[in-house]
Amino acid sequence: MSNAILVVGGGLTGLTAAIEAAELGHEVYLVEKNPWLGGRVAQLTKYFPKLCPPSCGLEIQFQRIKKNPLIKCFTMTELVGLKGKKGGYTAKIRLNPRHTPPFNVDFSLLASSLEGEAPSEFELGMTKRKALYKAMPFAFPARWVLDPSALSKSDAARVAGAKFLNINEKAKEIELDVASIIVATGWRPYDMANLPNLGGGKWKNCISNMQMERLASPFGPTGGVIKRPSDGQRPLSVAFAQCAGSRDQNHLNYCSYICCMATFKQCLYLVEQNPQVRITVYYIDLRAPGRYINTLEKVQKLPNVRFVKGKVAEILPGRGDNLRVVAENAITGEKQTLEYELCVLATGMQPSLAAESLPLPMPLDMDGFVAGGEEAGIFAAGCARMPLDVSRSAQAGTAAALKASQIAKGR
Amino acid sequence: MAAITLQPDMDFVRRLKETGGHNLKECYQCATCSVACPMAPDNKPFPRKEMVWASFGLKEKLTGDIDLWLCHNCGNCSDLCPRHAGPAELMSAARDIIYRDMLKPRLIGEWMSKPSGLVPLFLIPALIWFIVWWIRASIVGSWFPRAADGRIVFGTIFYGDYTIDPIFMITFFGAAFILAHGCRKLLDKFRPEGKLAVIGKKKNWFVCLMEVLWEETGSASKFAQCEEGPATGEPHKTRRFSHTMLVWSFCILTFVTTVVAIGHWGGKILPFILIETPMPQGFWVKILANIGAALLIIALIMLTWRRATLNRHQASNYYDWYLLGIIWAVALTGMFTQIFRLMDWIHWAFVIYYIHLVVVWMLFAYVPWSKLGHFVYRTAAMVYARMYGRS
Repeated sequence: MSNAILVVGGGLTGLTAAIEAAELGHEVYLVEKNPWLGGRVAQLTKYFPKLCPPSCGLEIQFQRIKKNPLIKCFTMTELVGLKGKKGGYTAKIRLNPRHTPPFNVDFSLLASSLEGEAPSEFELGMTKRKALYKAMPFAFPARWVLDPSALSKSDAARVAGAKFLNINEKAKEIELDVASIIVATGWRPYDMANLPNLGGGKWKNCISNMQMERLASPFGPTGGVIKRPSDGQRPLSVAFAQCAGSRDQNHLNYCSYICCMATFKQCLYLVEQNPQVRITVYYIDLRAPGRYINTLEKVQKLPNVRFVKGKVAEILPGRGDNLRVVAENAITGEKQTLEYELCVLATGMQPSLAAESLPLPMPLDMDGFVAGGEEAGIFAAGCARMPLDVSRSAQAGTAAALKASQIAKGR
Repeated sequence: MAAITLQPDMDFVRRLKETGGHNLKECYQCATCSVACPMAPDNKPFPRKEMVWASFGLKEKLTGDIDLWLCHNCGNCSDLCPRHAGPAELMSAARDIIYRDMLKPRLIGEWMSKPSGLVPLFLIPALIWFIVWWIRASIVGSWFPRAADGRIVFGTIFYGDYTIDPIFMITFFGAAFILAHGCRKLLDKFRPEGKLAVIGKKKNWFVCLMEVLWEETGSASKFAQCEEGPATGEPHKTRRFSHTMLVWSFCILTFVTTVVAIGHWGGKILPFILIETPMPQGFWVKILANIGAALLIIALIMLTWRRATLNRHQASNYYDWYLLGIIWAVALTGMFTQIFRLMDWIHWAFVIYYIHLVVVWMLFAYVPWSKLGHFVYRTAAMVYARMYGRS
């Protein structure tokens, strides 16, 4: 019997849950599939409510992890099996090989000499990374990763001789005794390929809102200057298509909650970078919950931003690399086809579990959100349960830690 | 701004739902449908506004809406609708309510709207033709007589000059008269209140009609345009060829009927154009008739297959199936009449021919209240739109 708690997912919800549980005195295993912690928040340029950069909030959490010996983090790791019952589970996890040593070695020189490249997962495919890479400058843990599948032939020879790399490292599986489990598997942006009428991801200058976050990020592919992908020009006219896949029975049959606010935030990025920019936001309803109404009002006051009530239902190629956006203005009853230099699809949140399964006895609803499991000592939190913003995800993480702790107490 | 109090007709909403617009209340006015529709013009596109009129129960607005007839029901809007509210089904249901309500006698509209109405609708012509059969049988002395040379000649019972021709002439011209009346009523509804002024040269109605007919049946370019909407990711089944084929088969069969009628009646005055039925199989009119029948069957199979396998977002209602069903009945009974006659199965031949007469009468007599009326109402609406715009 153990008083340990397993946390699946190292995004802001999982980090918060893990830290809160550890600070209550539990041993915590934090399992993260990616090589870094911080999840989707780490990819943002700024986040609500205060519009701080992600380093701001994540840094605090990372400090708390560093100081707390009760937390054991496993990155590049997946949960592959579960035995036992509530209060006495044995979880099997698979540690995928990182091929780099557990201490921090700076591989930047070696990495820059390599030829092989692969699309960067962290930059959502907008740039390439080397086979030996660190996802972002302040990745935590600050360790490099070697992706052997991206090595070219000459790279392989170079890497074989490198002192600190172990190309032969194999995946290994270990078992952990835990009392309860917190599921914080989070979300992923809805795939644009599912939206054929909006270009299906085929048009270069039609990007998702998460890609926009990377474009605006100081350590993103453009160094924080918002440039359109096709020719690196700074866009003068930008369209935002809200509810791209959300509130749609053919796609995500729910409101993704964050996309309106993300768009308002991105309007601010654009206007800050270029006061000449003209923005049109096409929407069904503008949803600014609670105090976020202040941000909406701020954006509505901007002379650069025009709001059109009417969903974008078609995006076509225009002159050059521009895009033609077709929508009916439902207030005036006019179907408008307007040309923009950049188009941002406010794609919604799809729970990660809609596409991946976990070996856990918990039901999912038809959209892939966790819909139970508490009776088995499994507590879902954050965007694995419902679409949430960052601060509510953190609160959900704390709440889950409290519940998981009640199962593990006194053992 | 003046305050407007809407007068919702809840009964109309209920009927729209029953007729096929089941999910119309799901609509949240996102306006996807207006973009999905390649036919909808930029100014006041459809069907978003129709969805809100339907939801609010604004009967006069919806039934007097010319855009109902500009819709060719490709179903793109229903494919892309994020709420599965079925704008295409709603437009279709609104047209069906017009077929049902616009013309007297209302009872026929009522019967035409539901399967149980098929019984009286069938019994009327069944009785008419049975009386004809009965009278002729008592004159000829047999219910299944043969011609003097032993052939099966339907004219022995259903003698053209005194039975078929007068009854169908009355039916045909009666239906045409009622349709014309329906057209007038429909065009009155399109007309905006007050005076209508046309700036510039007024377009000639005949030229407009020819243009519309060319677009609809000649080149079928409207159907091509209808299918040019945004990609939906759903399999889309074209109607361009099957519908055109059906229309052409109707044209061929109408032509054949006209030729035979002229040959028969005109032959009484000018003997050299005389045509006697049954025509020999090698006669060019007969060949043309068989080609028309074959095209009809092929087109029917294609259209029925399309309806039966519509994608998950689109639906067919009773009006769609009635029209397909009645044309199937006409085509099949017509075909089997000839087959049984050639096979010399006299009882089958006469019974099937009798049913053929019944269903042909149903097809013609009930046109003003059936979906087939669209060929007149839609044409009228499109000519009006060309002449005066969409108001």
